[in-house]
Amino acid sequence: MKNQLKIARISVDLTQQQLADKVGVTRQTVSLIEKGKYNPTLKLCLQICYAVNKTLDELFWLEKEEWENAKN
Amino acid sequence: MQKIKDERLILRNLKNIRIAYVIQTLGIIAILGYDLVTKGIGGMTNNPLWFVFIVTTIVSALLSMNISVEHESEKSSPKKGLKISITVLVLICIAAGIIISLIDGFNMMNGFVLPGIFFICGFFPIYYIYHLRKKREENFEDK
Repeated sequence: MKNQLKIARISVDLTQQQLADKVGVTRQTVSLIEKGKYNPTLKLCLQICYAVNKTLDELFWLEKEEWENAKN
Repeated sequence: MQKIKDERLILRNLKNIRIAYVIQTLGIIAILGYDLVTKGIGGMTNNPLWFVFIVTTIVSALLSMNISVEHESEKSSPKKGLKISITVLVLICIAAGIIISLIDGFNMMNGFVLPGIFFICGFFPIYYIYHLRKKREENFEDK
């Protein structure tokens, strides 16, 4: 699923590895989330949000049209 | 070895275990099949792998009950289901008892003991399903 994680991570000056260490996952997982190839659990989403000082909807929100397009 | 904390890797690890389980089960079935062909049914059941196979099958069946109970429609009442299942089980046990005691080579004692074993073996999964249904009903907030 498309998300704004990469922009948010860069804005707080964190590397993928640093973010991964903060939330307790591997760098590959962070990379896959950024690419939209892995859907994290809500718990991990929240941990990421706290790490990059953003809210859930700022990082992981899709408008209905985008969501419909992403499904197709 | 470090404990895996990454949720993606935990999930992948579970999928790997599932693949390994499938391969292992296929291997066991192949060995038991070979035993069945070469040594007959007695030779197959004498193999300790037969016991392993039966135990894992029972465990797998019990665990899958957990899923099938949640999958079934919401309308069935747990107590009604329990009553129907126990009635059917008792009828089967009585019928088995009568048939067994009529067969040559089996006495009246067999006619009581074997249906008794049937009843215990049947009662356990029936009660487990009742327990799961009751638990599901309690977790169902709308009621």
